[in-house]
Amino acid sequence: MEAVLEYWPVLIQGLWVTVWVSSCIILGAALGAIMLGVLRVSRTGVIRVLSMVFIECIRGPSALVLLFWVFYALPLLPGMPQLSPLAAAILVLALDGAVYGAEIVRAGIEAVNRGQADACHALGLSRFQSFTKVVLPQALSQIVPAFGSLARGMIKWTSIVSFIGVQDILYVANNVRAQTFETTIVFCLLAVLYWILTVLCGLVFRELEQVLPLNRALRAARAPSAYAPAGAAQ
Amino acid sequence: MLSAAEFSHSRPFVPEAATEAHGVAPKSKHAKWAIEFERISKFFGAHRVLVDLDLQVQPGEKVTLIGPSGSGKTTVLRLAMTLEKPTGGDIRIFGESILFDSAGKPLSTSQEARIRRRCGMVFQQFNLFPHLTVLQNLVLAPTTVLRQSKEQAENTALEYLRMVGLEGKVHAYPAQLSGGQQQRIAIARALILKPEILLLDEITSALDPELAGEVLDVVRGVAHETKVTLLIVTHEMRFAREVSDRIAVFDAGRIIEQGSPDKIFSYPECDRTRAFLQSVLNH
Amino acid sequence: MTWDWSYAVEIVPNLMVGVWYTILVTLASSAIALIGGLLLAILEIASTRLGRTFVRFWLELARGVPILILLYFTFYVLPQLGITIPAIPIGIGVLGVVYAAYCSEVYRGSLITIPTELRDACVALNLSQYVTWQRVLVPLMIKRAVPALLNYVLGLFRETAMLFAIGVPVLMGEAQVAGNESFRFLEPFTLAGIIYMAMNLPFLYLLSRYKDKHA
Repeated sequence: MEAVLEYWPVLIQGLWVTVWVSSCIILGAALGAIMLGVLRVSRTGVIRVLSMVFIECIRGPSALVLLFWVFYALPLLPGMPQLSPLAAAILVLALDGAVYGAEIVRAGIEAVNRGQADACHALGLSRFQSFTKVVLPQALSQIVPAFGSLARGMIKWTSIVSFIGVQDILYVANNVRAQTFETTIVFCLLAVLYWILTVLCGLVFRELEQVLPLNRALRAARAPSAYAPAGAAQ
Repeated sequence: MLSAAEFSHSRPFVPEAATEAHGVAPKSKHAKWAIEFERISKFFGAHRVLVDLDLQVQPGEKVTLIGPSGSGKTTVLRLAMTLEKPTGGDIRIFGESILFDSAGKPLSTSQEARIRRRCGMVFQQFNLFPHLTVLQNLVLAPTTVLRQSKEQAENTALEYLRMVGLEGKVHAYPAQLSGGQQQRIAIARALILKPEILLLDEITSALDPELAGEVLDVVRGVAHETKVTLLIVTHEMRFAREVSDRIAVFDAGRIIEQGSPDKIFSYPECDRTRAFLQSVLNH
Repeated sequence: MTWDWSYAVEIVPNLMVGVWYTILVTLASSAIALIGGLLLAILEIASTRLGRTFVRFWLELARGVPILILLYFTFYVLPQLGITIPAIPIGIGVLGVVYAAYCSEVYRGSLITIPTELRDACVALNLSQYVTWQRVLVPLMIKRAVPALLNYVLGLFRETAMLFAIGVPVLMGEAQVAGNESFRFLEPFTLAGIIYMAMNLPFLYLLSRYKDKHA
């Protein structure tokens, strides 16, 4: 145990890389998911189909295969860049998160009552205004919890980045293992660290749920408040 | 509050030409009609909801559409609000088509938005925005569509809240209000944009009977005090009788009979009208 | 360096071996996952606090720890304890155990949505606990769970690529071996990607058919 802990500076550094990569891909996936999710419910059939094909193409071969392809095979095609391990890792994992997230966003948007969009139309809001001010804020109440468990999963996805040489916690720990031969301890430590990271991520998303506009409104309605209860004479 | 009798007689009677079910409307380019449906048909898949509908409403006129469920009344309102597109025919608001430009091509989004701004709509299910407070519900359209300042929009919103008697609920969320209160807010939200035509789609159907009254009172006030053109779909026959200048009876996607409330309720001509009225009045 | 057709054709037989192992691993571990998940779900619903804690721990392990770590752990730690298991059963076992935890959640969720009136009816008919579970609740639970389970089996299939890390010759592993031998990565990885994508199609077909039938 002590032999392993002597390596704490490099372990911390590896952990930091994992945290950093996780944050980047979760953020990137969130933005990508909203954009793809919107395309997925587009009124134009062609856009809907194209976005669906794109989604299936990204998630079909799994993140691992895609990562190897982007890092080893893509640069061999004429005119394609050789990405750094970190860039390739973030790109692929964020993209993969975005396509899974897109389905969450689509389901969230479709779950918002049709009448809300009708009301926006009747009030003269444009489709964009109605999406950003009315539909999306409500859909978020359904999107955020589901995206939270996706994000937890995405932290675990980052373990594959060590394959292409990103020096994350798994990469560093493997080196420590090679030098100390403390296999059991190293892997138990890794399991605990990943578990803690995913739990923290879950907590962050639970906090995020609290501030969503629709959740705030429903909480206010549940709590006894200064306002007269429903049905009271006005 | 005015009595029902005073109400219906304080309105001019509608010209005979417009009361005929398939009367030929004069083709005037200057806005003789607030809203005009011309040979409108509407299919949902293979299901035919409206059949060659012709309906003209004068500016300031209050017209109520009645008839059995599924007879196409709500679709008429949704077409007027451009929530649906008709399968055939044309709809004009103050003489301007909401479907085609002068060259007969479909309207662009912005052209359509400009014309549809003259219409407002209140829905059966209120459709208030649940994540926004009452005040935010009211100022959303004025600030985004009319680009008013927040302060100006809020001041106007307070006036309208006072009008519907809910100035105490400014910062409440819709879920904290009764159905009747929510619907009054929804009416205020529609009126704040000063529509020239207001479409009321079964606005009391989702309410308990004891809450319907407060909503209908608000509409009576609007009908009495403003010059807004009203197109109403309702199952409240007493209310229809008090507030309307004209009643149009729908059946299976057609207007089978129309005329003044007195005529429709006291001397209906069609058997189907009589059967419908009997079924709802005995209810 | 551009695409070399003769090399691509040359490695296809190797990749096909990978396809075969991928199918094998997918089938074996989904069997573990589907059956184990059902048992876990029943254990959690029907048993004592101890059983419930055990299932919770299992679930938390599956949710919080990457499959790769679990794979390495079993692969490197078990031999130290004197237990030597070849890589393929380890891969199948770990994937199966992790996805059993996920599947148990699905079963449990679908059990919750079975209306309580149905259980009342079983009581009213004087059915024994055993018959109630075996003939009524479990079949209904499985039927409702099918689309979500199918999604997890698809997810499991996609994760089989991970097993190359402990030397299981799945498609991903074969592609990497082929690439390393000839220092040409474009063809093996591209072909592997395309084959993986094609192998998704049966799942997507099943899922869409299920949607059409029940939506």
